[in-house]
Amino acid sequence: MFYKETGQFKSRYKDELAAFPLFEDKIGIGILCVLTFLVIPMFGLPGLNYEFAMGAIMIPCMIFIIMTLGLNILLGFAGQISLGTGAFSGVGAYAFYKFITIFPDINIIIALVLSGLVSAVVGVIFGLPSLKIKGFYLIVATLAAQFFLTWAFIRVAWLYNYNASGAIEGPNKEMFGIIMIGPQSAGMTRYYFVLVTLIVLTWLASNVIRGRIGRSWMMIRDMDIAAELIGIRPLVAKLSAFAFSSFYIGIAGALMVFFWLGAAEAESFDINHSFLYLFMVIIGGLGSITGSYMGAIFVWVVPVLIKEIGKSAFGFDAFVMENFSTILLGAMIIIILILEPHGLARLWQIAKQKLRLWPFPY
Amino acid sequence: MNEKVPKIIMEVKNINLRFGGVVAIQGVSFDIHEGEIRAIIGPNGAGKSSMLNVINGFYHPQEGEIWFDGQKRPSMEPYEVAKTGIARTFQNIALFKGMTTIENVMTGRQLQMNKNIFWQMLRYGPAIEEEVQHRKRCEEIIDFLEINHIRKTPVGSLPYGLQKRVELARALAMEPNLLLLDEPMAGMNVEEKQDMSRFIVEVNEEFGTTIALIEHDMAVVMDLADRVVVLDYGKLLADGTPKEVQSNQAVIDAYLGVPH
Repeated sequence: MFYKETGQFKSRYKDELAAFPLFEDKIGIGILCVLTFLVIPMFGLPGLNYEFAMGAIMIPCMIFIIMTLGLNILLGFAGQISLGTGAFSGVGAYAFYKFITIFPDINIIIALVLSGLVSAVVGVIFGLPSLKIKGFYLIVATLAAQFFLTWAFIRVAWLYNYNASGAIEGPNKEMFGIIMIGPQSAGMTRYYFVLVTLIVLTWLASNVIRGRIGRSWMMIRDMDIAAELIGIRPLVAKLSAFAFSSFYIGIAGALMVFFWLGAAEAESFDINHSFLYLFMVIIGGLGSITGSYMGAIFVWVVPVLIKEIGKSAFGFDAFVMENFSTILLGAMIIIILILEPHGLARLWQIAKQKLRLWPFPY
Repeated sequence: MNEKVPKIIMEVKNINLRFGGVVAIQGVSFDIHEGEIRAIIGPNGAGKSSMLNVINGFYHPQEGEIWFDGQKRPSMEPYEVAKTGIARTFQNIALFKGMTTIENVMTGRQLQMNKNIFWQMLRYGPAIEEEVQHRKRCEEIIDFLEINHIRKTPVGSLPYGLQKRVELARALAMEPNLLLLDEPMAGMNVEEKQDMSRFIVEVNEEFGTTIALIEHDMAVVMDLADRVVVLDYGKLLADGTPKEVQSNQAVIDAYLGVPH
């Protein structure tokens, strides 16, 4: 970066272990907070319709970042491959739906945490095969979870309260006197709720990753034999990664349905979504929290923007742009992966390294 | 080493290890005294690494007993063995390549850390205190092995000799009772070998750690080791001080071959 570590000495280990040891980073995060808490809710994004900017870009982006964080913990930090992300997010969504319909007075935050925990339990159950199998074979095992769970979302009518439509819908529900979810809730309240959830979850994830448990995941990922020799039980490390990751994914699923879509069917949790989340993680960069942010934003925002630009600037109709944006996104993914297989997070790091020396190359 | 009453820290008795029809180790017994440097040597395929794997709990021998700290050890998994205080380095480096040097060394402290997930999530109070306290210890070890300058480098990008040293640091961070080194000097140049030998001796003398090492460089073995075990084709060939082993006819035959 145009700033560097030089001259910022830490005299206590505690300071060095902080999340943002550099003064300039703290300023950067402060600016981001002001932007997301004040500027964007007031003015929207430049050049875009306000409703569109909030409803189609900001809220889904933040939800997908939580999703990507969850999958990145499993795939990037613990090295266990999963294609069941979509289904696990569905578990969170359906659990949330059951909680708020069975206990209408339940606090939304409690319901959200509980549905995350339900998703974590399901994740652990379907993570059990990871103790015996690795790599491609584990993909197949998690695929089984994906298909079984989406089947259950359709066939087990109890899950959607025997609705004729087979969909789950958010009823109007208040928290502290403000309508948080449902058709009458304001986009602004939902935006702030998702934003705060995202910040809290990011903070918790970064803490866990830098501590004992996060290290045990990375040990299993990098060299499981040596990890065992240092006293890591593979059972505990792998299943805790599945649990933690599914917890995040479950919460993201509940947020997706009740704070963004408003209603959803089993299709919102199908294998295509699992692939979408996998793309986000891989494009962003495995094993990086910044990468999770970048990947989710890139994969979600680029097609939306391409569609918008095509419609407003060139007058193409929506269907043409839909296909065109898919093609363009695919091409961009390939180009990025050829340029830098470690994703956007690595590109960002390289840029930072280069900027340290800029404008003098040596 | 106390010559009069050497305390036996580990004893393997009559170990037999077979993989199907292949006999890897056949009736090998030896002991390791507390505080000594014990070398295990032998030609390739003699069963040296297998022996370490048996001690580590990777392999479970069909017959034989392992006594550790005066007690007969039941069949254990590697992570259970780690809890008894046995650390190890590998012949082909087994570092966590995605992590930095300091993180790798910190992994050695995993067993001593125990704060639960909720403190870990908050990274506050006991969790951060624990982290700082172990970080201090790890920094001491990093100082000791003179790898301060690569503290924050990802280990995957380090040269071979330094990687070996980081691996030793990680094993030392476990504060083991018994340290197993599998060819700590393989593939090193003379200078690196001298450094490594110095560290091994210092670890042994300063921390009083018992060390069992496998090594092919005879000069190193004869200099470092208090006692030497020689294996050949899975059998015990000789056991004694370096001098005794050097003059043992069976050992000379195994290394140089016998005229037919």
